[in-house]
Amino acid sequence: MTALLEIEDLRVTFNTRYGEVTALDSVSMHVNEGETLGVVGESGCGKSITALSTMGLIPMPPGRIAGGAIRLNGEDLTKVSDSRMRSLRGGDIAMIFQEPMTSLNPVFTVGDQIAEAIMLHQKVSRDQALKDAIALLDRVGIPSPDKRALDYPHQLSGGMRQRVMIAMAVSCRPKVLIADEPTTALDVTVQAQIFDLLNEIQRDYGSAIILITHDMGAISEMADRVAVMYAGRVIEDATADQVLDSPQHPYARGLISCIPALGKGAQQDRLAEIPGVVPPLHMLGAGCSFKERCSLTNARCGSEKPQLINHGAHPVACHAAEEGRA
Amino acid sequence: MTDLSNSEGQTMADEPQQDYQAESPLLEAWRMYRRNIPALFGTVMLTVIIAATFYGMFFYTGDAYDIVWAPHEPPGVTPEFPLGTDYLGRDLIAGLLTGGGPTLAVGAAAAALTMVIGISLGALAGFYGGWVDNLLMRITEFFQVLPALLFAMVLVTLFSPSLTTIAVAIGVVSWPQTARLTRAEFLRIKQLEYVTAARAIGAKNKRIIWKVILPNALPPLIVSATLTVGVAILFEAGLSFLGLGDPNVMSWGLMIGANREYILDAWWPVTFPGLAIFFTVFSVSLIGDGLNDAFNPKLRER
Amino acid sequence: MSLLLDVKDLTVRFALPKPSMFAPTPHLEAVRKVSFQLENGRALGIVGESGSGKTTTAMAAIRLTHASGGEVLFEGEDLLSLDDEAMRQRRRDVQLIFQDPYSSLNPRARVADIVREPMDLMDIGDMESRTKRVKELFELVGLRPDQLNLFPHQFSGGQRQRISIARALTTNPKLLVCDEPVSALDVAIQAQILNLLAKLKDELGLSYLFISHDLGVVRHLCDDVAVMYLGKIVEQAPREVLFDHPQHPYTQALLSAAPSLARRKSKGYVRAMKLSGDPPSPINPPKGCAFADRCPAAQDLCRSSQPVLEARAGAQVACHFPG
Repeated sequence: MTALLEIEDLRVTFNTRYGEVTALDSVSMHVNEGETLGVVGESGCGKSITALSTMGLIPMPPGRIAGGAIRLNGEDLTKVSDSRMRSLRGGDIAMIFQEPMTSLNPVFTVGDQIAEAIMLHQKVSRDQALKDAIALLDRVGIPSPDKRALDYPHQLSGGMRQRVMIAMAVSCRPKVLIADEPTTALDVTVQAQIFDLLNEIQRDYGSAIILITHDMGAISEMADRVAVMYAGRVIEDATADQVLDSPQHPYARGLISCIPALGKGAQQDRLAEIPGVVPPLHMLGAGCSFKERCSLTNARCGSEKPQLINHGAHPVACHAAEEGRA
Repeated sequence: MTDLSNSEGQTMADEPQQDYQAESPLLEAWRMYRRNIPALFGTVMLTVIIAATFYGMFFYTGDAYDIVWAPHEPPGVTPEFPLGTDYLGRDLIAGLLTGGGPTLAVGAAAAALTMVIGISLGALAGFYGGWVDNLLMRITEFFQVLPALLFAMVLVTLFSPSLTTIAVAIGVVSWPQTARLTRAEFLRIKQLEYVTAARAIGAKNKRIIWKVILPNALPPLIVSATLTVGVAILFEAGLSFLGLGDPNVMSWGLMIGANREYILDAWWPVTFPGLAIFFTVFSVSLIGDGLNDAFNPKLRER
Repeated sequence: MSLLLDVKDLTVRFALPKPSMFAPTPHLEAVRKVSFQLENGRALGIVGESGSGKTTTAMAAIRLTHASGGEVLFEGEDLLSLDDEAMRQRRRDVQLIFQDPYSSLNPRARVADIVREPMDLMDIGDMESRTKRVKELFELVGLRPDQLNLFPHQFSGGQRQRISIARALTTNPKLLVCDEPVSALDVAIQAQILNLLAKLKDELGLSYLFISHDLGVVRHLCDDVAVMYLGKIVEQAPREVLFDHPQHPYTQALLSAAPSLARRKSKGYVRAMKLSGDPPSPINPPKGCAFADRCPAAQDLCRSSQPVLEARAGAQVACHFPG
């Protein structure tokens, strides 16, 4: 079976004042119909760039897709025309952003904005589009949707705004829904509501969801499979259970163990920490980009870039895992 | 860099920066400014103008007030007076070199006064809010709705038309804008956490206003100050043109004002001071623009 | 254990714009008669959603927000009735760490000056001893001495939070108010800062008033926990009691909403307790229990009468039907 969306060896570069910087370095991942792929990593790891590349929203210049392919049902999105990309975007593939306030236009009502999105992709009358918009608001769990459709974004709470964003994103029943940290700006109870809503939508529409997050807890609750990213590369790629129960890469292990546990009776004296910070992309040297923060390094890590290879359990880009030192 | 600086750039600019030298934001702004060609051009031009008006008369023999030749001698005819003479037969080059100083001085003094009044009132209004803000803003609005030129004319007519009066008149009519800008900056900055932090460690209001908020509010104010210098120079020229300048002190505005009746017979006595004013204001504007860019951190990343 | 902070019936009201010129000024009660105690060397976590009044409570307790009622006894002395100069002197005992490491440091000051400033203001020691103290503090929070002369923007978020902590420790405070100190940081960095705060608490015997929306973080660092909802404490208990046997439905909902590694999609996890809707508006708080509209266990009594905090099974709970 071929995947619904497949990213293969994607390489994206940016022209910066430090010269050409590789933001994504041979990134590969895929997501199947009805499945949730979690993309996890700290900020600066290339999660958002991956999402924006898939949406065809990388600003060019300074950005450039320097290699690889993004295939949606076999069609390479890096090669299609701008007009084709426009019709796919918001149609077959849609995205929800982190900050719902700035992603909505403050001078139009939310009903108008959803209707606008519908009319961009479907040949329907304005009246019909507004009716559909109200039905969508109802679908995403907004009470009295006919009244709320007349509200402006600032009149809604953060959770409601994110629901509006979701309504807009799913207005054309996208095959792939990309959610870029959709709950970072929201409270936990609202986050739980949004996660539950995304799961419902997936069940009803059969959409594939790519959930971008830095929170392993969210991955645990939401994801079927996980791609762990670090410094512009995928460093571990497996099912959620595999990554959470037996992470192979020291970085993935660190991300899991540095979360303060909430389970009954759990109490640690000291959290595991990953020392240091993500290196700036323009300062990546030879070898593994995690070497400065890793406790398992040897000479090989300093000179040779580890490839994403299955050494037994599942694909991981780590020399220590390969040599059985992990 | 647009996208990188938003979503991912945080961390990119954020990292172990051992290679960084301790560099103040001002120094960083200066490095930015240095790369701005129009601003550098403006700086050089203004330096030349200032140097010429302050030191020119040491090297140029002649006196701006002396009648030295026939009136309305066109430029380029007599080698001794390359720019010709005015309606009284005074040397135009000497006039330009002598008149520049007072013009620039009035501009600078008026701008300084504008800044002092505007920043003080704006800072108090923005910081204290409440009735202080209400009162000061009503006063500001009162001055803002006065027709500036008319009000300045009244002031100059009431008092003697000396350079000081003119500078004060210009300052008094142009501070409201600075006050509003300062107030807006104070309103924005006072709710930032480092201001609360200063309060939490026991800083008094006076310190918070002048040592914490004001330095952070300065960049747009510096830009506005440069532009005010340009406006003040034009204002002075306008007043002189209307015959309200100080008749005893040579200035570019006065030269235009005195010669304007003969403009159809002789274009040069009004054109050269006009050009001098134009280039001065232009160079000041270029500098202001350059400062604006240099202080804008968004542009710095380029 | 001696009592460090004893807050009684703390109330904070904000004036709202008048609807018309002659109407009385309407008020918003952000904090409604909140009482809690904090012992020396312990950490009290205040959790709640945005708008619950948790930050306002802490800020009012240390007089950075004006309180309209109540008492804040700090070592027996009511901070709210001190005059300005006395309060200014008291500030050396009460320090603060903010959420946003990007806006809490003055961008135009060098970090050494930022850390030294409290000593300048309080007139502690001479210049030489101050400089020495700054170096000590830098080492204590894990920064290098060669970074002393840099500006805040040259540091990462985690490092800036370390600078904030150093500044707060300068005057040897007894109480440290931490307002969401790690929520703006990446998870890996978050762990570094939490470990640092835990270490400082042990080594210096500090007390924390720790504001957070993240239950995991509070569980890791705090000895006692208070849960706030719409300006009131709805449940307060020692850590183990609260996390192992939450009694207020809102606490239960918060725990059930927090993402956890123990809940797996692959194991068919479905959230046990779902909350719908948003908290009610604090401008017009409901007559009964503020949580009644979202509560699965709500009954008629809940809508008509407000529950008060009562001791129950090792905790204090404000609920008519705790479970």
